[in-house]
This record gives sequence, structure tokens and C-alpha cells, in this order.
Amino acid sequence: MRDALRALRDGGLGAGARGAPLEVQPKGDQPPRLERATPLEGTSIQVRAVPGEPVVGFRAFLDGIQRSQVLAHAGGVPIVHGAVAAAIRVREARRMHTWGAPRIDQALYAPHALLEAALLETLLGRVRVVDTLRADGRSPADDPDAVPGARHPQELVARALTAVQRAREAAESALAADWVASGDGPLLVDGGTSASAEAARSAQVIGVVKSHRTLYADEAALPLLLGLREGERTTAMTLSSPRRHAVASWYLRLRDPASRSPLFGLVRVEAALVDDITSRADVVSRWLLAERAPVSLPDQRWDVMVYGIRECEQYLTAILK
Amino acid sequence: MSEAIIGRVVATERKPNTPHEFHFWTALDAPVGIGTIVRVETARPVGGLLPRIYGVVTEGFGYTDLQTPLHDVLGADGEPGASALAPTERTEIRLYTAAVLRHVPEEPLQPVPMGTVHLATEADVQVALRMDTYATGDTRRGIPVGLYRAGGTEAAIHLDADFLLGPEAAHLSISGVSGLATKTSAVEWLLASIFAHFPASKGKVAAVCFNVKGPDLCFLDQPASALSDEDRAIYATLGVPAVPFANVRYFAPWSAKGGQLATLRSNDALQENVQPLTWGLKETLQYAEVLLNRDDIDAKADALIDFIKERVVDQTFTDGVLERAHEVRSFSDLEQWFRELLRGLEARNADVWRTHHVATIRKVRNRLSNISTRCKGLVTDDGSVSDLPFKAFEDRAVYVVDVANLEEDAQDLVFARVVSQLREHLEKRQLGVEQVVVFVDELNKYAPADGPDTYVRKMLLDIAERGRYLGLVLFGAQQFRSQVHRRVVGNSGTSLYGRMDPDELATPGYQTLAPATKARLATLEKGQLMVRHPHFGQPIFVRFPRPAVLTGREGVERFPQAEELTIEQSVAKALRRLDPAITLGWVQDQLMLAGDDDDGVLRARNRTLQARPDDVKAFFKAQLKKRATPEVAGRRGPAPLRVAPPDDPYG
Repeated sequence: MRDALRALRDGGLGAGARGAPLEVQPKGDQPPRLERATPLEGTSIQVRAVPGEPVVGFRAFLDGIQRSQVLAHAGGVPIVHGAVAAAIRVREARRMHTWGAPRIDQALYAPHALLEAALLETLLGRVRVVDTLRADGRSPADDPDAVPGARHPQELVARALTAVQRAREAAESALAADWVASGDGPLLVDGGTSASAEAARSAQVIGVVKSHRTLYADEAALPLLLGLREGERTTAMTLSSPRRHAVASWYLRLRDPASRSPLFGLVRVEAALVDDITSRADVVSRWLLAERAPVSLPDQRWDVMVYGIRECEQYLTAILK
Repeated sequence: MSEAIIGRVVATERKPNTPHEFHFWTALDAPVGIGTIVRVETARPVGGLLPRIYGVVTEGFGYTDLQTPLHDVLGADGEPGASALAPTERTEIRLYTAAVLRHVPEEPLQPVPMGTVHLATEADVQVALRMDTYATGDTRRGIPVGLYRAGGTEAAIHLDADFLLGPEAAHLSISGVSGLATKTSAVEWLLASIFAHFPASKGKVAAVCFNVKGPDLCFLDQPASALSDEDRAIYATLGVPAVPFANVRYFAPWSAKGGQLATLRSNDALQENVQPLTWGLKETLQYAEVLLNRDDIDAKADALIDFIKERVVDQTFTDGVLERAHEVRSFSDLEQWFRELLRGLEARNADVWRTHHVATIRKVRNRLSNISTRCKGLVTDDGSVSDLPFKAFEDRAVYVVDVANLEEDAQDLVFARVVSQLREHLEKRQLGVEQVVVFVDELNKYAPADGPDTYVRKMLLDIAERGRYLGLVLFGAQQFRSQVHRRVVGNSGTSLYGRMDPDELATPGYQTLAPATKARLATLEKGQLMVRHPHFGQPIFVRFPRPAVLTGREGVERFPQAEELTIEQSVAKALRRLDPAITLGWVQDQLMLAGDDDDGVLRARNRTLQARPDDVKAFFKAQLKKRATPEVAGRRGPAPLRVAPPDDPYG
């Protein structure tokens, strides 16, 4: 960030325009929704008690973090500094160690076309500046998310945040691919695996989704899903979307919600499609149930966050200065 | 130099580093503990030099990412065993606080910078404790006190002789709970180390040890029953021979009955270097103040005692009240002098003699005459003297004065006189050695923090404050340092601590120690000490070997105490040391012929031992004959009744 601030100063921009982290600012998320999924076990979503005792199965944990904030405004265009990091932490003798090297990336995020040429040249001479209008490598014309001509500062900030998130996901995907190539043992990824072709296809990679703005259930299956008791899972289903790779997925209740929210302790698991998905889902569910201890308190998401992911997140927080 | 990085310095706003303290973290399995010496290196030069900081670990912290113990309870569902089954151990930290021992360079003195932490090597320990200035080179004057051990590093720890035995600083204070072989063992070890390493260029050194309880110091010349290989290795590393003291002499008063010496070193096999300690009137009266109760002896009595010391003792004294000239050389002479003086005053119906009231004279007579009773065995009626060889002290010799069987008053007297004599002879450079270590156990009894200002305490304070200039060095041991006068412990340049009582550690004198250091002090093993020394910036923990001498407990088992002797056996045993041809039968014959009482026989024995004549038999017989001869001059008839003056109306 120091280099970025210096570059901005050299470009004639004041450096005192730091804002609060974007992650803590109110987001204009889409409303929660239900989405259909295709059952893999049977013809409809059912409830199934995970058979057997929890058993330790995961060898490693992958997580990524991001930080972004507006450093300056150039003619009303926000220039955002984004930093992302991802790492795999391997568990050996119950203690965690970093596998390989963490991936760390820092850059400025701004719409190139909306910046003065001289300023852009100055910035590019000093730091990497990601074009938020081409954040995923596509031109604005090809990007359905792009809004040509949009100059609203908040819209530009939102695009920058999206670009940072994609950078994080890219770092996570790249690490997951590395693990598939040379790692040894099951890897638990914080979030879905369907964004990465290697991860989605690998039997070594398991994704755990903790947030449920989209619930994959129709209205008939929803009460079953929300009524899961601790140690129960739904039958598996397959998820597919034009931008994601096909994976098997099921819901698992890690902890008894009692009188809490029906989403308490509920995670959605993503795994590669296999022939015997029932056995696979049972085994992976037993692995996840074994990760309920130690609890991830004081993290607010402790009911759905396994300790290995929290530990990985703390590690990344410590190294991302 | 150790290159392995075992930790990193950290500092936060809430826990900042200072020039005298810093914090660092280590891996969980790092060989670091309380007392470990570490070296900090930084890559940022100051004034063109890369600073290097040495510190000793004084506190340790360990914690996890748990915010509250309740979270662990929740995670384990209230089952303590469940936590152990968790697949992942919580992230845990080992955070240590270290006290700075030394900055290199010394200036500018800055807060300890961020840097890497390394275990101190042997060379690092030398620098950290400033031993490089006195324990190496041609002018070395280091006295090994023990071995520092931590994380695979072993380093000899040396004290500076100039700061242990003077003249820069001096004196040693050693504290520790009883029964863990700390205090006595440490002193025995340190004396052996001093004798092995005290530079010859600094003169001769000897030790006077007061054995105040049991057989603690009674077998310093006997080898230890079994030294472990580890102990021998420490001796070898520190360059101290693992042998008992070569030159030890024991001094003990006679028992109350006078048959044998009042010491647990009474076995016949060990009598070669055991001598009686007996004093006469002159030696005792000089320190009468020690024995006299201040409530009884007022200024008037003091004046009379001074008069007796200066004008009566050891000279021919005549006075109109006395019927004859007196030469007072013993307590019995003094008693005769008092008796005749009072009789003369009564005969003259006088209440005052040379400004001294008769009541004062009677009081002083009473107090002085019972000294020989109270100190029986030490103080002789007849004036015979057997004393330490003042003026002939030998280099590297230990003189043990066994007062364990004496009454408290007599112990005080021995202590006061011996130390005063040492001081006087050192002042005149006539002792035979230039440095004397005086070891006093139970110092809290002789120099208590509270209580009356006794002669002994004043003397100890004087030694503590001025002894280093004379070469008179006090090694004091006590269970509770807080109960010793603060000026005595405050003047101790070096302090050793064995295992300490937790209550003692709670007293204000230990406030400067970190809680972890106190905890370690409260749990120290045998053979471990914490050392404070002027060159060391912080207390250092060391290990010392078991002394190479027989312990008191083992000594009394191996050398059982001699049985109580008859007076004939006692005399025969004593004289046989001067003349091996003397038999018990010969002694029995002589005593039968003389027909003397026990006191007379013992007096003859003592005089013979004192004189050490060439012809022992003849001298002893002469002494018996001397006593057998009635002392006509001393025998007086009963005092005549006072006759009333002719003009006395009441006569």
C-alpha cells in the first residue's frame, strides 16, 4: 500500500483520502433466493442421518482473505487499493503449517478509461493498476456485469470490490489447483469449489459454503433442509451454471440450532461428482462433523466455520500487512 | 556463535520494549526457560555498529487464540476429555520477557530493537555477564561459582575476586530453606573454588568457619562418600579439584565435665587436627560486654569493670584495703581479689572504695564470677589458654570453630572474640594471611533485623561496612534474608539463593524479581543457586557440584562420637597426643598419688597441653604436685566480727 500511496502522490493526488474498508461498508447484495437443484440420490431431496462416528479426514485447509479501501479520487473516480492473500495450512500431528508459499497480491483497482492518461501512465509506471472495467479479462462490451458509461462513484467502488474478490478467488483457485497437482490428502476449501475446474473435478478437494443467500431447494424441500438436525444431511444434488463447473452438493447440519436461526450450524458441501455419491457424501460429512472441535469462537461464524479455516484466516491476517 | 534463530523480538504499544527489558516469542519446543540467557541480533545499525543485546529470561507466557475459557468448554461439550480428541490443536504462543544483561555497544542505550533471538553460547555468556573483563587473560581473577546450563549451552560462571573478597566490594550472603543442603554445601563448594582460583598475586587466603549446629562442618578434611559423574564433570569443567580441604584445623571448647572436647568430631581417628578452645580471664574480660546483661550492668558497673581490666588484671595490684599484693590472672584469682576487697571494706565499715560503691562491687563480682560457670569448658578458672593460631594463619587453610554445643552466651563470646582478633591482626598485617573469609551460619540470629543492638551485631555491621578494606570477608548464611539486618545484607556484594520459602519471597526484599523467577526460586533443586553479583546485570541461575567433603550426617555415621571418658581416660588420651608413650595405667598411678580433685587434674592437663613441653610426663606430674600443695597464702580464717568503737552509744 505504501508504494501505491507514493504513486498516487506522484500522480498529483492527495493521499489523505483513505476510507473505511469496503468489506465493512453496507453492500447492495442481491436478495436471498431459492434455486432448484437436480437430485443425485433419488428423485427428490431427502433427509439422511450421517452414519457412523465422526472421523478425522482432512489433511489441509485453504482460505483466502482480501482487504480493499479507497485511496484517492481522481476527478470523482475512486482509486481502490486491494490486497488479497490465500494459503493452504497442512495439519501434521494436530498442528498447522503452511504448505508451500502463500499467494499474496496487491494492486490498485480503477477504471482505466475514466482516468486521465497522464495519471494512469504515472500509476502504471509504479504499481499494477487493475482495470475494473475489464476485471475478469473481458472487455466491457463482453461483460454482462459491465455498465458502459457508468460513472457513479459507488458503482465504481462496487466494481473495484468485485475485482478484488475475483483476485482473491483466483488466488484460491490457483492454490487449489496446486494442491490437486502436488498435494497429498483431502483439502478443505472455504467456499465453493465449482469456480475452479481442477478443484471441481478433484476427489481431494472439498468445499464448504457457510453463507446461504441462495438456498438450493424448492419449496417442498425447504422445510426438510431447514429442519435438519445435528448430524443429518440432505441427499446430494448437482449444481450447474454457465459460469461454474458441475459439482455434487448437499447440506449438513454441524450443530444443533435449538431455538436459534434455522441456518445455524448449516453448511453446504461441494465435492466432485463420483459414482457412489451416497458413500462419498457420508464419508465427507463424517470428516466435517469431526472438525466441530475446537470451536472457532470468538469468530461470529463459529457455528459453521471449522477451526482449520479460522486458523488459516488468522495466518493470512497476520501476513497481509 | 549460535546461528540458529530460536525466537523473534516483538513489541506492542501495551507491551513495549525498553532498554532494560524486551519480549520475544519462540516455537513451542524451543529450549528456552526462566533463566535462559539469549542474544538479540538486529540488521539495523546504530551509529555504524550493529547492536547486540544480551538478556536473561525472567518471565514466560503461553496462550492460545481462545478469548475465554468458556469457548473451550462449549467446544468440548463440557467434557474435558473431548478437547484432547479435537483434530487440531489451537494456535499457541510462547512469549517470553527477558531482562537485559548487557548492550554491546553500551552507548547509546536504546530500547531493545526488533531482531532475531539466539541461545547464548559460552562466549556470549562471558560477554553478557561481563566476565570477559575479569575471568580471562593474564590478570584473571575469576572464582567459579557454578555452571550455567540452558538449551545445550554450558558455561562456567565466575565471580570477580575483587568483588567477592575485596577490595572493590566484598562479602557473600546465602539464603535458602533448611534441609536442602544448600547453604552449607554452597559455602563449602565456594571455599574450595576460592582456594583453587584465588590469584596468588593477591596474597594468601584462609577461612574461619563457625560450626553452629550439629556436625555440619566437622568433616571438611574427609572425602565425600560418593561424587556422581556429573559432579566430577562440573569440578573438571570449573577447574576445581574434587578433593576435600587439605588443611583444616578444628577448635572446640571442653565439655562441661571437662573430659573431652564438646564436638561431634570426637572420634579417635580424627583427633590429629582437633584442639581445645579455652580462654582465661584476660581473654574473656576483654569481651565481658558480650556476656553481661545490659539491664544489670549500668554505667557504674561499667566503670568498675574498666578499672579491673586496666588496673587489676595481669599486673601486681596493691591497695590499703587488701591484705596482700594480688596478681589477678584467672577467674579464681579475681574471685580471691573480690573476696579480700569486700572483706577489707567490711572491716573498715566502708561503703565506697575508689569511688565505687560496695553494692556495685558485689554486683560486678556476682556477674563476673559466674562467667566461668556459664561458659564452662570455654572459659577456664585457672587462666589456661588454647586459642586459634592468630599471627600464624596458613594459606588456603580452614579453621573450624565448633560452638555447636555451647550455650548462646558462650557462642556470642566466641564469635565476638575470634572475629575481633582477626580484625586486629589483619589491621596490623600480622595474621599470616591477607584475606580471611569468616563463615557464619544462622546470621539472622547474630545480626537480626530487629531486636537489641548487641555487641555481636554491631561488630558484624562493622565488618560488613568496613571489613573489605582489611581483607575480612563475611560469608553469612540464613534461612530468611529478610530477618537479617539490612546493612549486613545490603553490603554483601554477592548473594546466593537456594530454594526459598514462598513466604520469604513475598517480603519486600524480593519485589524486584519477576513472579516466574520467584516461582523458580521456590522450587530449585539441590545443587542449584540463583546468583547476584555486581557484574551481573540480572540474577543468574547456576548449578554447583556436591562438595567433595563428607557431609555432617555421613560423617557422624562413619566416625561415631567417642564415648564419654573417665577423667583418667581423658587425660591419657589428651597427653598421648604429645607423648605416645603415655598409658592409661601411668595416668591412673599419677592421679592416685596426687590425690587431686577433678578440677585440679583437668587444670594440670590443660596446662600441659598449652605448654606442649618436651618431657610431658615430668611437666604433668609437676602440675599435679603444684595443685597438691596447699596454698597457704590464699587461705584465710573467718572474718572477725566487727567491733564497735568505744564511743559507740549503741555498741
